[in-house]
Amino acid sequence: MEESTAHESWTTWFQLYGPKLLLCARQWTRSLADAEDVVQEAFVRYWRNQRGLPGEPMALLVTSVRRAAFDLARREGRRTTREERASELDDRVAVFHASLDGDERRAAIEQAMQRLPAEQREVLVLKIWGELTFDQIGTELEISPNTAASRYRYALAALRQELKEADCHG
Amino acid sequence: MDEDLKLLEAELTRLQPAAPSRALFARVERQLGAAERAPVVPLRAGAGAARPAWFWALSAPLAAAAALAVMFTRVPTDGRAPSARAEMARAASAGDDSATALKPVAAENVLYAASDEGFVTLDDGTPARRERLRYVDTITWRNPRTNASLTWSVPRDEVRIVPVLFQ
Repeated sequence: MEESTAHESWTTWFQLYGPKLLLCARQWTRSLADAEDVVQEAFVRYWRNQRGLPGEPMALLVTSVRRAAFDLARREGRRTTREERASELDDRVAVFHASLDGDERRAAIEQAMQRLPAEQREVLVLKIWGELTFDQIGTELEISPNTAASRYRYALAALRQELKEADCHG
Repeated sequence: MDEDLKLLEAELTRLQPAAPSRALFARVERQLGAAERAPVVPLRAGAGAARPAWFWALSAPLAAAAALAVMFTRVPTDGRAPSARAEMARAASAGDDSATALKPVAAENVLYAASDEGFVTLDDGTPARRERLRYVDTITWRNPRTNASLTWSVPRDEVRIVPVLFQ
C-alpha cells in the first residue's frame, strides 16, 4: 500500500514537472535524447536525495537538471560554447504540446524561439515555463537579477518582432 | 513592459511544454518505481523540510567522518585508477547505533581527470614527475528500515610525486 502511494506520488510529480524540466534541459543539451537522459538523472537524484530539502522544488530541480547537463557534456567531451550548442539544437521534435487550434502559431513560436540568442532563450524558458523568479534565474545562471530581467525583455521583444515578420511573410 | 509584450507573455504561458516520452517515464519508473519505499512527501508548492532538523544535524557529522575517511584512505600507487566500490565506508560506520540508523552502503572513487604537471626536483636532487589526479568520492548511507538514503560527494585532488630513474 505504501509502495503504491509512493509510486503514485512520484508519477504525479513527474507528470507535473517532467515537461517543464525537459524543456529546460533542452536549453543545455544538444538533442532530445540527451535532454531526457539529463531529466532522468536529475529527477531520480532529486526524488531520492533532495526532495526533503527546504526550498522551491522547481528551483532545486532546475539546478539539478543544469548540473546533470553539464556533467553529461563533460563526460562525453562535448563541452562546446553555448552558441554552438544552440545552433545544433534538435529542432525536429516539437517543443510544445500540439493543439488542434493554433498549431501554426505554436510552430511559428517554436521557430522564432530557435532563432533567439541562447542566453535570451534560456532566461525566457526559465521564467515562463520554469516559473523561476529573476532572483532565482540570476542565481542559477550566475548573473544579476537585473541582467536576467533585461534578457527576458529582449527575448520577448525579439520574439514579437520575429512573429510579426512571420505573419507578414506567411 | 508594454501591453503588446504582456499579451505575448500570456500567450507563451498558455503553451504547454511537450510531455516526456513513455520511454523516459519507463526508465524513471525502473529506477524509482519498484524500489521506492521512502516516506511520501506531500505534493505542495515550496515543499519544505520533510525531514526533521535532527536528521540533518545527526547526519552531517556522520557524512563528514566518512568524507575524512575517504580522503585519508591509502590509494594504490601502481599507476591504475582506484576502482569503484572501495570498502572504506566500513571505516566510517562508527556511530551506527545513533538515532539516525543510517548505515554506509557504498563508497566510490571516480577518477575524472589526470594530468602530468612535468618534472620537479626533490630536496635530495632526485628528479621526479608530478602527476595530479582528480577524483569525486561518493559515499551513500541508507536506513534499512525506511530505505531513506543520504549521498555525499566530495571532490578530491591527489598529487603524486614519482621519482624518475635514468638508466
